[in-house]
Amino acid sequence: MSFAQSLLESVLRIAEEKKAKRITRVVVDVGELLMLNPEQLRFCYDVITKGTIAEGSELELNIVKPVIRCTLCGREFDTPFALCDCGGVVSVEGGKDAIIKKVEMEV
Amino acid sequence: MHRIEVDAEISLLEENRKFAGENREFLAKHGVVAFNLMGATGSGKTLLIERTADSLGDRLKIGAILGDVAGDDDYRRVTKHGVKAKMVNTGKECHLDAHLIHHAIEEFGDVDLLFMENVGNLVCPVDFDLGEDYRIVIVSVTEGDDVVRKHPEIFRLADAIIINKVSLAEAVGSDVETMVRDARRLNAKAPVIKMDLKTGEGFEEWLEWLMDTYERARKLKG
Repeated sequence: MSFAQSLLESVLRIAEEKKAKRITRVVVDVGELLMLNPEQLRFCYDVITKGTIAEGSELELNIVKPVIRCTLCGREFDTPFALCDCGGVVSVEGGKDAIIKKVEMEV
Repeated sequence: MHRIEVDAEISLLEENRKFAGENREFLAKHGVVAFNLMGATGSGKTLLIERTADSLGDRLKIGAILGDVAGDDDYRRVTKHGVKAKMVNTGKECHLDAHLIHHAIEEFGDVDLLFMENVGNLVCPVDFDLGEDYRIVIVSVTEGDDVVRKHPEIFRLADAIIINKVSLAEAVGSDVETMVRDARRLNAKAPVIKMDLKTGEGFEEWLEWLMDTYERARKLKG
């Protein structure tokens, strides 16, 4: 819910700057490791946009995968963990942020 | 009327990061070492603070910012053990965030060691940096021995992992070693402490880690 809230605030701020009458579509990159459930985020977004100029807008969510790689042998993995079979430390980069990429609106 | 598309690059976590940075600055300036204490409801977070205060209270001034959805039960508990405390009610939110801490932190410039007791939850608190120095996760065997691998992120990013209520493991059918192995698989750095706050098992190991970590951080803050 706090992500949806912060999303709406940011989107409304952008719309205000552009003097938009209506927001029609919002694109957000969501890091996979945030473990946000897209269906839940969409539901929260639909609820809190009611009565605002973002009501009825489409929320497009792109899940961004982290890069999980052994720092010793270079093998890549799908899920994070600490140590590779080769004994190397596994590094995890990205996949921890949620970034608004595009806002489509009617002005 | 026409339709336009505006490119943006706005992180939804930026606001939290900003407040977390300010909290961290405040703590550094006052030489306070802060621990974000996370764990499910009933895992033993508040009891850990009470026992720690009983053991270290004569050496260190201990503070606690207590996050809960409602009520002041934890506040009443820890203040009986000499902890300087403040309650932060999060209402509908399932986690503390840096902004809530920001409101409370000013009163804690005079403590040595500050616990930020998060809301009982193993998911949402992970993404919200509070400005703490270290993260502690406490789970109990009564949550099931698969609880660690079900919540990988919180264990991966912890600085210390406590498995509490180990004396109840057999009774509830949990295998402590499975929990330890899962924690190790996710996190090679953090100590995994098998504990039972009621019997005292593992408590010395915890105090040792806490004091070592506290003293190291204190030196870094000057």
